[in-house]
Amino acid sequence: MIPGGYGLPPSSKILKKDRLPSFLERLLEERIVFAPVRRGEVILIREIHAPSEVVLEYENAKESPKSIFFPEREPLFRYRTEKGKVEVDIPPGRERSRVVFGIRPCDARGLLLLDKVLGGEYRDPYYFDKRAETLVVSLACDHPNPSCFCLSMGGGPCSPEGSDLLLLDLSDGYLAEAVSERGAALLEDPAFEKSDEESLAVAKKIKRESEVSMKPVAMKENLEEHLERVFDDPVWKDLTETCLGCGICTYLCPTCYCFDLCDEAAGSSGERIRVWDSCQFPLFTQQASGLNPRPTAKERFRQRIMHKFSYLPKSQAMLGCVGCGRCVTECPVNLDIREVVKSLSGGNGG
Amino acid sequence: MQQLTNEIRAIARKLLREKKVEVVIGFERGSMPLRSRPCFIRKEEEVNRLFWDGFCENALAVYLPKRKERAAIVAKGCDSRAVVELIKEKQVQRDRVILIGVPCRGMVDRSRIESSAAPRRILEMREIEDTLILRGTDFEETLKRSEFLHESCKTCTHPNPVLHDVLVSEWLEEKNEDPFADIQTFDALTAEERWDYLNKEVDKCIRCYACRNACPLCYCPECFVDASLPQWIGKSIDSSDTMIFHLMRAYHLAGRCVSCGACERACPVGVDIRKLNRKLVKDVKDLFGYEAGLNLEQTSPLATFRPDDTESFIVNP
Amino acid sequence: MMENPYVPFPMRIEEIITETEDDIIKTFELSFVRKEEEEQFVYTPGQFAEISVFGQGEAPFGMASTPTQPGRLAFSVSKIGVVTGALHRMEKGDVVGVRGPLGNGYPLEAFKGRNLVLVGGGFGFSTLRCLTNFILHDSNRKDYGALTVVYGARAPGLLLYKKDLEDWRKRGDLQVHLTVDKDEKGWQGHVGLVPDVTRSVAPDPRNAYAVVCGPPAMIRFTLPVLKELGFGDEKIFLSLEMRMKCGIGKCGRCNVGSKYVCTDGPVFSRAELAGLTAEEHV
Repeated sequence: MIPGGYGLPPSSKILKKDRLPSFLERLLEERIVFAPVRRGEVILIREIHAPSEVVLEYENAKESPKSIFFPEREPLFRYRTEKGKVEVDIPPGRERSRVVFGIRPCDARGLLLLDKVLGGEYRDPYYFDKRAETLVVSLACDHPNPSCFCLSMGGGPCSPEGSDLLLLDLSDGYLAEAVSERGAALLEDPAFEKSDEESLAVAKKIKRESEVSMKPVAMKENLEEHLERVFDDPVWKDLTETCLGCGICTYLCPTCYCFDLCDEAAGSSGERIRVWDSCQFPLFTQQASGLNPRPTAKERFRQRIMHKFSYLPKSQAMLGCVGCGRCVTECPVNLDIREVVKSLSGGNGG
Repeated sequence: MQQLTNEIRAIARKLLREKKVEVVIGFERGSMPLRSRPCFIRKEEEVNRLFWDGFCENALAVYLPKRKERAAIVAKGCDSRAVVELIKEKQVQRDRVILIGVPCRGMVDRSRIESSAAPRRILEMREIEDTLILRGTDFEETLKRSEFLHESCKTCTHPNPVLHDVLVSEWLEEKNEDPFADIQTFDALTAEERWDYLNKEVDKCIRCYACRNACPLCYCPECFVDASLPQWIGKSIDSSDTMIFHLMRAYHLAGRCVSCGACERACPVGVDIRKLNRKLVKDVKDLFGYEAGLNLEQTSPLATFRPDDTESFIVNP
Repeated sequence: MMENPYVPFPMRIEEIITETEDDIIKTFELSFVRKEEEEQFVYTPGQFAEISVFGQGEAPFGMASTPTQPGRLAFSVSKIGVVTGALHRMEKGDVVGVRGPLGNGYPLEAFKGRNLVLVGGGFGFSTLRCLTNFILHDSNRKDYGALTVVYGARAPGLLLYKKDLEDWRKRGDLQVHLTVDKDEKGWQGHVGLVPDVTRSVAPDPRNAYAVVCGPPAMIRFTLPVLKELGFGDEKIFLSLEMRMKCGIGKCGRCNVGSKYVCTDGPVFSRAELAGLTAEEHV
């Protein structure tokens, strides 16, 4: 992945809104296309078959697009056993390349964290197979939600990080900035026109206004160290008292990646599958002996916060939160992660 | 609303001062407009956090089982019914809980308000009687509160607490009996259509268990979906596994569900969980003449056996 | 390392030894089905592998065998869960899946030339058996100093690896101290708790390392004893047990602070652990 930077884009063009359908048509000819679509009351990122399905006037999708790269349920291999023998078949890689179109910059940036945690010494072949074959075209946020806090998490409403191409709505068209070489190749499509100085200036203004509109999260410097000091502070119990222990925050999160491995068998054959799991569930760490190092919501919630704001910054040099705000808006008891971070930042150091 | 808030605060202050309870479980203002949320008040000086408005949608009874402290709980009609069930099921001791009953005019569904205002963003909301005054950066709008209620509140026939120790505000007129119009429509479908509908709904499920965890009557120490020895159902979002989860949960709540709607409100992806629960609420009512959580005396029909129990439900579904 | 770290390779059960009188612990000796994996499976004492029972799932087990005896791997399995229960029902000739070796293993380089006291309890003794047999091997023995093994169980019938214990007892180049909670007729070892025995038999802490592996309670009470004896935190190594799943630092459940037990451990020095935020019981 080639992360981009701010400033003047390396190459940018204009995509007029009336030419968007033809661009999407051509994308659909070559690739599987995922984009925001309306499903009942909510917007979800789903595979589309026609440009008309795409909804780009939206705040953010209910679910993060991580499932496109890291599905809720993923077969790792099939097996067949008979006495004294076993055969293992690994599913073939992806044949058709894909594009995720119109996701938000926070979610695109979340992929960079997944790249880190699923990479490394034991590179996850299932994830990277999908990642390598999937272009990411994001749509910058010109009006961030009150629940959004990407800027405080090191990203931004118009951040190009994690995208191949970044679109910015200029009302009659989009300014398209290529962030990677793959993104630049997309700009070769005839739907794109040359950009002009005026568009660039407007884009710059929109970006600035968008960032200024965001309320910063009060967060202590060196929070990762500070959190280790307040690990045993009684404040955790107060902070988590209302938590219901459901998996909404982790399942909707673009960077939560914890999983379980299960066998689903019928007779002598079956599959080993990977399924999403959540640190908020008691079974996540319960040992077969019944012992559980994280027996109550307090330890489990603390793990989630520590993982995102202390452990990942230490091990991967990146916060485990991109500030998409889904956990803020969707938590049934409005347990707001921004308030949690703020409250812990104000702690006395344990 | 301010008056109810004041009354709740005064009661909480008194209960804490007189050491009648160690904790008051109520609502406070949330972190965003259109949000109120559960809170736990243990000190007199914190009672001013308590708050009441049309967004106090959580079923607070969920916090009662296994609680060691003597607790007071702010209880709407549905909450009080949940407490009644919990007492009957021996999960809560009657003498360890004080119900601060609040007759409820129904809670407002914030997603409806948000979609009615969209794409404008609501920055502030005031609630005065039956009006909601929304304010955004460049607009102000007044909505009629009763038009934006949660589904479960629209069909509620018990807005007044069925059990209470203290009452806040005045008794509301109870609505007529729920005609279960939605369930009648559902029942009129063919078996195949009903199955298709449920499959379509269940396919949205992400298995986050928010419905289960938000439910005041889902208190099993180990839910059947979590059992590993034996493992009853798969852990993935495979539709058959997800369907079994929702069906079994609904059956486990048959005769116990108090129609508070907490499950549906907690669901982040909009699964129509209520359809199943309400279908069973109606069935239990039709078959046994029973409604869950109305009083402490009546025994739950599915937790008892009588030789003359009707067989039609079992024999001819 | 394996190209696809989630896919196990097949191994055949060659022998099943019922270790304890309560039948709860069995040791499975496995042989490689394919030559390539036999060649690739190079391991250090203290490392572990994920064993698959196809249709039931996977669970991690420390290697109880020693790398000095190539061709076979041994795992001791306590029947407590789904996978372990299924393993216990398997028979000689059956095939299981194996992924590994995983984890860091004991710091053999640091141990070289030093005296060692290995303190184990119950089922956690398996990787210490591996380490002991590794050190005792002719090609390695000269690299290490005096070796003291303290091993305890609730009753004599619950001690594992009886044949090894007998062989070790006959040797003159290590001290073996076995202890049980309750005396039994014919028992010739210690009676008492592992920490107490450790206190009386541990070597001089200078030039020595201690390795502790066993149930949490045993670890909790042994650590202060070692400290009292003068073992510094950097001289004490522990092998941690946490619930693991993937074994490759991905699934997110076995962390102690910012470290994963499966990839950064399972062996940690006490000094390393002191710098981590740990849940109470760890």
